[in-house]
Amino acid sequence: MVAYLRRNTALLVTLGIVLAILLWMTNRYEPKVTASIILSGLTLGALYFLVASGLSLIFGLMDVLNFAHGMLFMMGAYLGFTAYANPRLLLNTLPLVLALLGGAQVGRWLGGMLPDKLKKPWLDTALHLALFVLSVAVILFAVRGFNVQPLVANSATAAGGAISTADAQEAASLYIPRLLWLTLAGVLLGLGLSRVGPVATRRHTRWTGALIGVGLVAVAIAIVPLRTPAETFLLSVSSNIRFVLALLVGLVAGGALGALMESALIRPLYSRPLYQILLTLGVSFVGTELIKTIWGTAGFYMDIPAFAAASGEGCPSPNLWSWFSDHCASIDVLGRPFPSYRIFIIGLGLVIFIAVALLLQRSRIGIIIRAGVQDSEMVQALGINVRRVFTLVFALGSALAAVGGVAAAPFLGVNLGLGAEVQLQGFIAVVIGGMGSYIGAAVGALLVGMARAFGDQLVLSGIQLPWMDEAIRMSPSIARASTVLIMALVLLVRPAGLFGKKE
Amino acid sequence: MTNILEVDAIHTFIGQFHILEGVSLAVPAGSITALLGRNGAGKTTTLRSIIGLNAPRSGRIAFEGSDIHGKTAYAIASLGIGYVPEYRAIFRALTVEENLRIAERSKKDLARRSDLIFGLFPDLKRFYKLPGGQLSGGQQQMLAIARALVPENRLLLIDEPSEGLAPILIESIVDALRQLSAHATILLVEQNFRMASILADRYYILDDGQSVHAGQMADLVQNRELISRYLGAGYAAAVAAPESPAVMPTAQQGA
Repeated sequence: MVAYLRRNTALLVTLGIVLAILLWMTNRYEPKVTASIILSGLTLGALYFLVASGLSLIFGLMDVLNFAHGMLFMMGAYLGFTAYANPRLLLNTLPLVLALLGGAQVGRWLGGMLPDKLKKPWLDTALHLALFVLSVAVILFAVRGFNVQPLVANSATAAGGAISTADAQEAASLYIPRLLWLTLAGVLLGLGLSRVGPVATRRHTRWTGALIGVGLVAVAIAIVPLRTPAETFLLSVSSNIRFVLALLVGLVAGGALGALMESALIRPLYSRPLYQILLTLGVSFVGTELIKTIWGTAGFYMDIPAFAAASGEGCPSPNLWSWFSDHCASIDVLGRPFPSYRIFIIGLGLVIFIAVALLLQRSRIGIIIRAGVQDSEMVQALGINVRRVFTLVFALGSALAAVGGVAAAPFLGVNLGLGAEVQLQGFIAVVIGGMGSYIGAAVGALLVGMARAFGDQLVLSGIQLPWMDEAIRMSPSIARASTVLIMALVLLVRPAGLFGKKE
Repeated sequence: MTNILEVDAIHTFIGQFHILEGVSLAVPAGSITALLGRNGAGKTTTLRSIIGLNAPRSGRIAFEGSDIHGKTAYAIASLGIGYVPEYRAIFRALTVEENLRIAERSKKDLARRSDLIFGLFPDLKRFYKLPGGQLSGGQQQMLAIARALVPENRLLLIDEPSEGLAPILIESIVDALRQLSAHATILLVEQNFRMASILADRYYILDDGQSVHAGQMADLVQNRELISRYLGAGYAAAVAAPESPAVMPTAQQGA
């Protein structure tokens, strides 16, 4: 017991400070105000956790500081919003993506059939680069003149009403050639990926891979005529179903983007950490510009789905249990209404926290991840292909961030400022918690969220200590500064972060 | 006797540094072969080259007759090679059980080998659910060796198992390794010459990244000139006093 206390002094001191502040808050504010500050803090904490957990796992396992994580969060918000409010864009790009993926599968198989390496290493690298450049060129050629603007136009108003997609969608005669060109681009990309220069990768020689690829392309062509009926159908179902769909889109798209980023871009750079940072920063710029190109700079407002949007008779819900049946937009917390969607975010964060914790503690892959955080070389020397685990963790982290983006969209809005903001707060949370620690990311995110919420309240009410006649008013930026302040304090007491391991 | 491992003139670089400048060795199946040499001679790098963590730039490595040069570390390990690195590199955050489970290459590995493992290291059974980081130094070393025993590895690369351990613990490690040699061939890197001379059948001496001498361990023990030339005068002195404890810590020998 004594040994335990001594080992965790810094942690206990921090908890003590948090408790003291909480006590001071309950003293200073009415309980209902304190409760809503805490709930706001938990909401922000849950969102920051979804970003910080991925950042921390990726850094812990692969030593990669992923500066593109905030962009992935933002991409999740845009994709989720699109799936929710206007599935037209996604339905019209899904076949294109499938064709590209299918082509890439076939290309990887073709690459596996080729002789091992060329005689001269520089020739190998040159061929690899040439294939990449060529495939990008073919992609650009394939999507030339593809008009996204009418596909993006916010059709939330059209929900339930008559939808005219004739002007927005391309005719199949124009669309199918794009699919075929993209298949070709995918084949080239797959060929390039199967020969990633200095890194020896597994050869994909199994014909099932190629078969899956051909299947994907076939599915892509088959669903072309279904674009309009699917859209009509999706806009006719309840917003709850579309919201679940949006979360799934975020999960899948985030995971896919993460896996692609790791395997195509980061993998060749594991021996060059500085280049990785530049690369992820570059990816975040490219992603942000891509978002601007597709969705414009205006930003969107995403409606809260029906399960947390009811109003009128009996609202706000008197407690959480009655909210499950009346779905009011807000819930009464000690006499003050609190938006119920934010309670949902807290719940979502909690569920994901537990699910990932179980994955890490119970499954074999979790054991490998935790071992790899300490020493990925040794994991490899045991006969485990740790590179594949790298891809998986990168995909998992990216998926969590993208889901966070979808969940945040009805709360924070969908705009271009989203990425940089959560990136910064996520990093702060990870540094507070200790790089590489999953629990640390959760605690750090909670602290950052609480600090934000508490800071906001301080800005609202000002600070009035007992001997002051009048409260000191503070600038709103104090709320943002408070998180950096906490980080500085924690680093002073415990340079490796609260749960970080001393090296 | 056939050779389970053959290393032929490998050259290994770490960054720009040319660490191994032509190391050749052959490990006969069923033996314990000691790899000796001063600090910085390239012993650890040789093991890391074999397992593929520092792939050699040139040369040939064959395990059970087939070429493994250029394969990735996980592929090499899966062929049946266990690696026990120096400094007891167990996974501190994982429990003893998880440390063993992670080494499984198929689901039943641990169950099949548990008699062997817990017969050698009964302590591990007692601390099965404890995090590896809370074990003592000796127990951590036992865990590191046990981890390499979970799959049926036919070759074990063991790096300095006696490092930093109390003499009494070194005795038990020596016992364990001796029993182990009935199950697997061992290539042992060891600074503690007494320990190496007790255990090994054959030896190789590395100097400045080259293999300079090889032979039967029994002959080396007689050859004080060779020992003091390549391993230092302290070793020769240790050999000269056979009544001294078998496993004196290296720090005291070097004086």
